[in-house]
Amino acid sequence: MLDAAMVREFTDLLSDNGVITDEVGLRSYECDGLTGFRQVPALVVLPRDAQEVAGAVRLCAKYGMPFVARGAGTGLSGGAMPVADGVVISLQKLRRILEIDVENRRAVLEPGVYNLEISKAAAPYGLYYAPDPSSQQVCTIGGNVAENSGGAHCLKYGFTTNHVLEMEVVLADGSVATLGGPTGEQAGPDLRGLFIGSEGTLGVCTKVTVRLLQTPETVRTVLADFPSIEAAGDTVGDIVDAAIIPAAVEMMDSLAMEASEAATGAGLTVDSPAALIIELDGPADEVEAEFEHLTAICERHGATRLHVPTEAEERQKVWKGRKAAFAAVGRISPDYIVQDGVVPRTRLAEVLTRIAEMGRDAGLRVANVFHAGDGNLHPLVLYSESAGEHDAAEKLSTDIAELCVELGGSLSGEHGIGTDKACSMPTMFSADDLGVMHRVRLAFDPDSRCNPGKLFPTPRLCGERPGKYAPHPLEEAGVIERL
Amino acid sequence: MSTTVTPTTVDDLRDAVLDRPGTLRVAGAGTAADWAGTPAPADTVLDLTGLSGIVTHNPGDMTVEVRAGTPFAALQAELGEHHQRVAVDPARAAEGATLGGLFATADSGPRALQYGSLRDLVIGATIVLADGTVARSGGHVIKNVAGYDLTKVLHGAHGTLGVIAGLVLRLHPSPQATATVAVPCDRAASADLARRIADSPAEAVAVQWHGVAGQGGRLLADVEGSESGADARARRLADAVGGELLAPDDAAAAWEAHAVAVRARPDGRAVLRFGVVPSALTGVLDGLEADAGDLGDVTASPRTGVATVALPADADVVAAAHRRVAAAGGTSTLRQRPTGADLPAFGPAPASAVVLRAVAASLDPDQRLGRGRLAPWVPTPESTGVSA
Repeated sequence: MLDAAMVREFTDLLSDNGVITDEVGLRSYECDGLTGFRQVPALVVLPRDAQEVAGAVRLCAKYGMPFVARGAGTGLSGGAMPVADGVVISLQKLRRILEIDVENRRAVLEPGVYNLEISKAAAPYGLYYAPDPSSQQVCTIGGNVAENSGGAHCLKYGFTTNHVLEMEVVLADGSVATLGGPTGEQAGPDLRGLFIGSEGTLGVCTKVTVRLLQTPETVRTVLADFPSIEAAGDTVGDIVDAAIIPAAVEMMDSLAMEASEAATGAGLTVDSPAALIIELDGPADEVEAEFEHLTAICERHGATRLHVPTEAEERQKVWKGRKAAFAAVGRISPDYIVQDGVVPRTRLAEVLTRIAEMGRDAGLRVANVFHAGDGNLHPLVLYSESAGEHDAAEKLSTDIAELCVELGGSLSGEHGIGTDKACSMPTMFSADDLGVMHRVRLAFDPDSRCNPGKLFPTPRLCGERPGKYAPHPLEEAGVIERL
Repeated sequence: MSTTVTPTTVDDLRDAVLDRPGTLRVAGAGTAADWAGTPAPADTVLDLTGLSGIVTHNPGDMTVEVRAGTPFAALQAELGEHHQRVAVDPARAAEGATLGGLFATADSGPRALQYGSLRDLVIGATIVLADGTVARSGGHVIKNVAGYDLTKVLHGAHGTLGVIAGLVLRLHPSPQATATVAVPCDRAASADLARRIADSPAEAVAVQWHGVAGQGGRLLADVEGSESGADARARRLADAVGGELLAPDDAAAAWEAHAVAVRARPDGRAVLRFGVVPSALTGVLDGLEADAGDLGDVTASPRTGVATVALPADADVVAAAHRRVAAAGGTSTLRQRPTGADLPAFGPAPASAVVLRAVAASLDPDQRLGRGRLAPWVPTPESTGVSA
């Protein structure tokens, strides 16, 4: 239990009033973007640099306290939900872009730097940072590392793990190590790749070196309406078969477009059953040739409208219509849950049909916004908390994620497992699979104090709603451990 | 004496791991048997070349699941029939190297500039641990963040930590056409030329400098695209940097000569592969040459910072070379160790070696697998197990 003397140690360690202990202050950290899971932490610390992070982690180690690293708190899986009697280590003061190395096309960043800030800082040099989660204006690179974030453009360019070269991490005992190296080819096992996407359970990242790419010579975007979801899905299939790798292929259904159009006025056709936003980038001649091919494929599948924005501003407007869709759904439903399952792209039509059936059976509406190129779905389950629909929505959402696994896919494409989907992990992984992951976890963090209760299914998490932690008698006796 | 077992299924492999007492050494085609640390004598050699073939190829999803012992060249040939490929081009593939072997040794080729190495293309794996546990990680979809990305830790593990039984890879379409631009230049000029290539809109997928000992060198840049597009861009690139667009046969010969240099086994020499931040590459190569003398045929990627050089097979010289790379912030791995030579495999242990040892102790506590391969970062235990 945290006492006044311990709080004083944290206060002495951290400069600039870097400790929050008051109830109101603590409460503002009680959840991340998944607001259904809440837990007020015992303490929040805001270190100013990597040394202070390491110091705070060492104090946690000294007192055997669990801790949760937190970036902007925009995660959608409860990965940054605090632990009762634990410390939240907020990285929001570590916000410096340490270097834009134009010559070597890389940027060195503190973890609290916002994703979009990287590309803004690199833009004057004709460079940019490729992974672009929808929340890129407000999510941090440290959080991206924890979740291995993707984005609309990762079909062509890959995920966070494909763009991070090197990281400085603070391990559970407060020691500091560098993972990765200055090139993609490093000596020895790729601990960097293991750490990325580990959802804060292996340590705290305090510095990141990412690759920067050259801004493509040409970008062409088309917003295409289709008479049915199937026609849009078939279009994507034919694009892939034509050996075209678009920078992005996004699909929205009518419900999602209705919400987004009301919020953004992006120019979406609200009564169209489906639309694709397809973007090509690269050398001008290649892009022009492929773009022609692409629009022909759209027309062959009965596209009812092809909107080709010519100005950058117009293109951004179309993208705004896509990227704002999650938030916009709040306009057509008081509450909603965002899902993040993945299916092999060739099973898109099948999964969408089944989701529609499941929604009907549950008496709930489901809006669909997703990355069609890589099969990453984002069904939005709409419900009303006040109408008592929460549990039904929660169940439908879980059933959809598990359906994705049944169809040969994954529980999560980019939002992570966190608290939200930990209980579904056994549908995707065997006890042996999870056991091996857990062995790796213990190698990094023998006492499981880094972000406990996330990613791995635990009886406590999966048996009951989160509440105040109290050690089980068997735990105190050292017979069992809390994952 | 070690005995060799040749499993043909994952179950066979697991049974072999469980049934055979003592230490185990994983072997593929044997093209990198003397890379990294010197393996301690093993009681059993697990020959994975029998665990071969494609399990499932889903052209529409652009994914393939492959058994670890599959020769990489055969895999590429089969995928090529569907106009698809694994977008890596390691030089060893031509010698029969297996997919599992290339992954375990973190090998990659010139196209790493554009597509990364196998670690960037792998999306799932089946692994067998030293205690017989069979575990899967990842899956069959290219976008997947469920659970730890366990597969990554076997990339560069050189047959330690766990046995890779199979991998799932994401595929890319084969380009319609490829065109190569060559620019004769010495090492000193290569960095600036390569930067100009990178800054052009050509989108070169590979930029390599190949220097032949005692002679000059040249920079090779590959452009991929449509029949007309690749050619036109390569032409513009050649004009911009004062190079020559090679005829298809000449381009193939130039890249083959480059690959031969990468996989060369100069007699009685040590070979070192290293990576540093690109702007430090020329300086490190100059320093190595000053320390060790002739570096043999040198292949270097001025844009990724990865290079392969030959050194005298002398422990002090090799150790000094590792230190020089480390001083520039890079890492290096020994890629050829003449028989009997006791040469350091890696540079100074990084702070993360503590974690590496903990992971090794957790996954393979008795260090049954590939003992010695990651030494000294993962030290070989004193006892040699139950070796007869």
